[in-house]
Amino acid sequence: MVEKKANIDLLFRKGLDDLEILPPVGTWNNIYPVIRKRQKPYMLLRSAALIAVLISISFLAYKWSREISTSLQNSFIVRDEESTRTRIDNFNPVIIRQEAVVFNPAESHVRTTVPGIPEPEAVTARESNQEIIVVPVSANSYPGFNLAGHADNNMIRIADYQPVKDYSEPYGVIEVIPGNPAGNGKARWSLSAIASPSYYLKSVYGTDDISGQINSYEKPRMSYSGGIGFAYKINDRLSVQSGLFYTSVGQEIENIYSYAGFRPYDNTKNHHNFEVLTSGGMIYTDNRDVFLLDNGGERVITKFTNDVFDPAKASLLYLNNTLHQAFSYLEMPLILRYKLIDKDLDFNLIGGFSYNMLINNSVYTYVNGSKYQVGETEGLNPLMVSSSLGMGLEYNLSRKISLNLEPTFRYYLNPFSQTQAVKTHPYSFGLFSGLSYRF
Amino acid sequence: MPETVNIIKGCIAGNRRDQELLYRRHAPRLYAVCLQYSDNDEEARDILQDGFIKIFENLINFKNEGSFEGWMRRIIVNTALEKYRSRHNLYRVDDIDLIPEPDADPDNEDYSGLEAIDLLNIIRELPPKYRMVFNLYAIEGYAHKEISRMMKISEGTSKSNLSRARLILQKKVSLYTGMNKKVVNG
Repeated sequence: MVEKKANIDLLFRKGLDDLEILPPVGTWNNIYPVIRKRQKPYMLLRSAALIAVLISISFLAYKWSREISTSLQNSFIVRDEESTRTRIDNFNPVIIRQEAVVFNPAESHVRTTVPGIPEPEAVTARESNQEIIVVPVSANSYPGFNLAGHADNNMIRIADYQPVKDYSEPYGVIEVIPGNPAGNGKARWSLSAIASPSYYLKSVYGTDDISGQINSYEKPRMSYSGGIGFAYKINDRLSVQSGLFYTSVGQEIENIYSYAGFRPYDNTKNHHNFEVLTSGGMIYTDNRDVFLLDNGGERVITKFTNDVFDPAKASLLYLNNTLHQAFSYLEMPLILRYKLIDKDLDFNLIGGFSYNMLINNSVYTYVNGSKYQVGETEGLNPLMVSSSLGMGLEYNLSRKISLNLEPTFRYYLNPFSQTQAVKTHPYSFGLFSGLSYRF
Repeated sequence: MPETVNIIKGCIAGNRRDQELLYRRHAPRLYAVCLQYSDNDEEARDILQDGFIKIFENLINFKNEGSFEGWMRRIIVNTALEKYRSRHNLYRVDDIDLIPEPDADPDNEDYSGLEAIDLLNIIRELPPKYRMVFNLYAIEGYAHKEISRMMKISEGTSKSNLSRARLILQKKVSLYTGMNKKVVNG
């Protein structure tokens, strides 16, 4: 009985194994819009992820900055003379951390009269902290210290006495800063040299087949930006920045096969034989020796189509299956920078606009590592406007020099190209880094 | 012709051409599976559409372990199962007592005249509950324990449904082959 049952199972299993029936016409057309619709939230998720990353980094930077600040405040610890005498054998009452302190590099010695206490080392100057309270320095202003040798306009702050770990006696925290604490004469200008690798992405508008082809076969190539910037400090928090930057962007266009040796077959009087539709604009070939073929797509527009000309039969030399589209821009930014945290490690919010002038565009492919010119892109906007948003971490190496690190998101406000079929808005993520000099 | 791996990559990247290529390549086979699990063509088309949407959404999770066709087929079967679950309260299971025992001995039957499309039509005539169990057990190879979990029925019910499905199928196959013989002879 079991075998009989298995028999009927086998009959259906084998009988239906290779059955194929064409679905009703139009089924695919109902599937595709749903797929597209469901793919859109990824864009929102990416944006949400970016915001989350920025907030997280901001929070970490804030915490780090707080820790550094706390460490600085506890870095110059002085014990009063009486208690020093009692604990001199097991405690060094003067603790100075070099990166923590003080003022005039030429006069940055703090001398102590406490017997047996080593003299603190000379320390590097640093910018004054506006939040501290200062009092005029005098030889008698702090018992146990001889501050002679400092100019009269130097100021000293003696913080509240606070108990220090493991010691019952009170210790003071002092911080010596240059005179003129109100900030008069502070450096307002800064000059910076910064550079950044950037990763460009783009949003392509268009729902037809050709938009799909363009979108799926184009990949951004690593781009970079660099130049000289200058900034003016409007007040302690706000500064405005401009400069001149060179930006190189581009993309790789895959599945476009290029061949060399077409010149003998070129009998046209047109200035170009092939056009390639890309999100960055229409590529026109200006090299009459090159032959282009879109493998299975419709991005190449030419009269030398497959049914007219076969590169294999004509024994053309195959070069590559990827075109490289490169654009160079001269960029003039206008950036506002707001200092959220003003410590040794500053934290800034950065936002503004940039004007980008197209100065070069070329299309090429690679043959054995060498560039092979194909043509150039038509229809590019000669002037692009981009908006920038980012944050800046600024670490003060000295009073005049700082190290900058600025993760920046940039969005181009006008379309990359003026081609009607496809409109693209590129956007980029960059990590600008460099040095600033204040004067 | 592009390799399946490249098509899958294109589909994951959201390339419409690759998605359509994948659909055109596999839809006929999978549509036959949908018909096997459905009451009518419209329901089969719904299963195919929903199934392909799930395929595209889950392609990124396909690990290249095992057959890609098998992976797609499992998604289609699961989609059919979901559809069945959402409707099963509406179905009435035929009483087995109303179904007569088959007259013929299946071992001695000649099935050579049966085409695949005939088998499909026969299977679609089964009551949904029997059809589902028969498909899952006999065609897909699931065990009764798995079927009971998938259909939220007991193992005993699964076994009994399978048994009843087989009886009906044997009867119908016999009728089909008998009719064919008559046509040939007549």
